[in-house]
Amino acid sequence: MTDLIPMGPLGTPDPARATHGALTLTENTALMLIAVATRPGTPAPHPLGLHLPGPGLWSQGQGAAAFWTGPGQWMIETDVPDHAERLRDAIRSAPGARLTEQSDGWICVEVTSDAGAAPIRALLERLVNLSPDQVAPGHATRTLLHHLGCIVIRRGEDHLAVLAPRSAAGSLWHLLSETASRQVPVATV
Amino acid sequence: MLIPHPLLGLRDAQEFTYLGDAALLNRPDPAAGEAAFADYVYLRDNPASVHRELWFHEQGDRSWLVVTRNTLTHEILGAELARDVKLGGTA
Repeated sequence: MTDLIPMGPLGTPDPARATHGALTLTENTALMLIAVATRPGTPAPHPLGLHLPGPGLWSQGQGAAAFWTGPGQWMIETDVPDHAERLRDAIRSAPGARLTEQSDGWICVEVTSDAGAAPIRALLERLVNLSPDQVAPGHATRTLLHHLGCIVIRRGEDHLAVLAPRSAAGSLWHLLSETASRQVPVATV
Repeated sequence: MLIPHPLLGLRDAQEFTYLGDAALLNRPDPAAGEAAFADYVYLRDNPASVHRELWFHEQGDRSWLVVTRNTLTHEILGAELARDVKLGGTA
């Protein structure tokens, strides 16, 4: 049988990683994504007790997280394969809910700061045309970065994740590393 | 230009695409005849004042909005989900 070499969206066998000042970019290749949609009028399901949040929000649960993508639509993320399977089963059995497998359709880059929230805030100011409260911790939204449709998730004060279509992986890595490398050093608050 | 999305708050107009007159929501009955459909497909009012128009949040949550805009001043007077306008929901 053909011996295939697994590789990530950037075409590298190992997750890409780069450090620019206080910011570290890490490609997250372990992330699995499940899109959930419900019929209009159906209440939000709670697969395995996971809370599916309201507009513009991201919520972290046990072994998985979820964010809102549209009216009656969410994306669930997990990095545990067994848990993903259990989540899929739970969504299949929820009334009025449908799922679409999105794993491998996206590249996810985690941006972490070792100097608190200030470098992340400065990066966001240069990346997205959104007010600070729209990208505050616990928020996630789809928006434009360098004319590329991306999902921006603020996982914490010093932690940001950006998802882009897998076919645009190189563009996302380029725009994030370029913007991070041109950061003006900021005083830590 | 910022569009006050009813669910997501103020969002950059760059994230949206514009379709036009919100009268497109009022599709005639299939039995209404050719004249009604010719009117629906080809004829639009072009007011130099307050206008209700359809905007698509393509680079956001992909919802259709009915935005009320003054075409003379570009002032945005309101936005609601087209689904709510069409189906008579909460908006």
